[in-house]
Amino acid sequence: MKQSRQDDIIQDRMRPGVITRDGLLGHDRRPLRDILEADDAEVRRLGLTHAAIAARMRALRDAGAEGLGEPVTVLDHFEVRVDSVRGLLPCPFPHEGLCRKEFVDVRNLRSGGQVVYTELNIHLIEAHGFYEGLGAPFRQEPAILARVLEI
Amino acid sequence: MTALLIAVGVLCAINTGLALLLMLAAATLGRVGPCRITINGEKEMTVAGGRSLLATLKDERIFIPSACGGRGSCGLCKVTVLEGAGPLLPTETPWLTPEEQKANIRLACQVKVRRDLQIRIPDELFQVKQYRARVADLTDLTHDIKQVTLDLEDPPEIHFKAGQYIQLEVPPYALTDEPVYRAYSVASGPADTRRIELEIRYVPNGICTTYVHKHLRVGDTVTLNGPYGEFGLTDSDAEMLCIAGGSGMAPIKSILTEMARTGNPRRCRYFFGARARRDLFLLEFMRELEKTLPDFRFIPALSNPDPADHWEGEVGRVTEVVARHVRDASQAEAFLCGSPLMIDACIQVLREKGMPESKIFYDKF
Repeated sequence: MKQSRQDDIIQDRMRPGVITRDGLLGHDRRPLRDILEADDAEVRRLGLTHAAIAARMRALRDAGAEGLGEPVTVLDHFEVRVDSVRGLLPCPFPHEGLCRKEFVDVRNLRSGGQVVYTELNIHLIEAHGFYEGLGAPFRQEPAILARVLEI
Repeated sequence: MTALLIAVGVLCAINTGLALLLMLAAATLGRVGPCRITINGEKEMTVAGGRSLLATLKDERIFIPSACGGRGSCGLCKVTVLEGAGPLLPTETPWLTPEEQKANIRLACQVKVRRDLQIRIPDELFQVKQYRARVADLTDLTHDIKQVTLDLEDPPEIHFKAGQYIQLEVPPYALTDEPVYRAYSVASGPADTRRIELEIRYVPNGICTTYVHKHLRVGDTVTLNGPYGEFGLTDSDAEMLCIAGGSGMAPIKSILTEMARTGNPRRCRYFFGARARRDLFLLEFMRELEKTLPDFRFIPALSNPDPADHWEGEVGRVTEVVARHVRDASQAEAFLCGSPLMIDACIQVLREKGMPESKIFYDKF
């Protein structure tokens, strides 16, 4: 699908200094539409959906939040720590609502894998199928999410 | 061939002309001249236009609280703009309720000064000053919390209420190419007007916390502004339930220090949550306060004590310990400081114990 004018506006809001200091695009020079389509294809290749990935991320976040900032063991072999700092982040896509500034650190004690994601990541994947651009600080690789979170 | 050369020449001339036109437009249309800002109908100032209202006011030494450095991600820098702000921006609307939008409340970091403005700000913000201070001491309170002691130099004194916070400026360094501000509660008591203490927990890759933990040295000069915030001791006799974790210790310590100085007789229970013994700090200070204050108890709680800690105190999350200790909170007041997650969890427990939300105090970041 061709990048629309609306996509351009959204992509501008993903640049460094607009919503977050480092932005959501990293060193990725591709148009937003291409980033979305590539990750969508990857998720389908994995036999998953964005909703399923986001649901697993959210379930682990919710369980980890019980620790009030301390690590919590979830499902016997995940160590989950949810930290939150002051402030809220808007989504770069045009709709209302804000995400808390939360960091979810998940360690799979069985495999040794680790992923760190934010509440904004969960929302972006769930609502927009956006995993952030390559090289972005919180870029989520669908395959790594699937492997570490055992989706 | 000649026709081709003429066509190329004409094309080049048109392109050059267009480029010059664009440069001229950028240099003239984009430039904003001096603008007048009228504050609270009284104070007037003429400023250079083109920057955000937040940055412009800061240059005029009027400091609007902001925890994100003007990125539009904290929603703190709300001011009333009666005239000249232009339409609401999509970056502002998520932060403003319909009532606030109707009342012309805007985010100062998002409003650009492009024409004359009429704004309204709380009078107490005129009391906020910028300070130059020298780092007098840096002490590791735990493996990830540092106490920063600052001697004020210019101006040499600060007057604040226990529980308030300041904004510390981080100069450009490896993690930021522009100065940024972050909010920290003052940990020392307000009676000490020449020196303030901050307690800063290290956050991996955090711009300010990395600067403080890895780069700041004793003797360095820093810039801060403040004081800000409404969090603090209330004028009441009600029992106090203080709940904090990590660097949330700071404002509670300031409040307790002031209570000790003034001989405040209020019953006070202070629940402090940590993971293990190595995350606890200021234990001796708190034990001393237990002797000084008429009715004060410090109740540290460890969520996951190490066997080597030989911990005999409370075990569990701080919210669980509060729930065990407090039967009826309907007549008490709560003072909370910690991560948003912790505050949310505390509010839930306190509500279950009968405390009305109007009696639960915390900085609303």
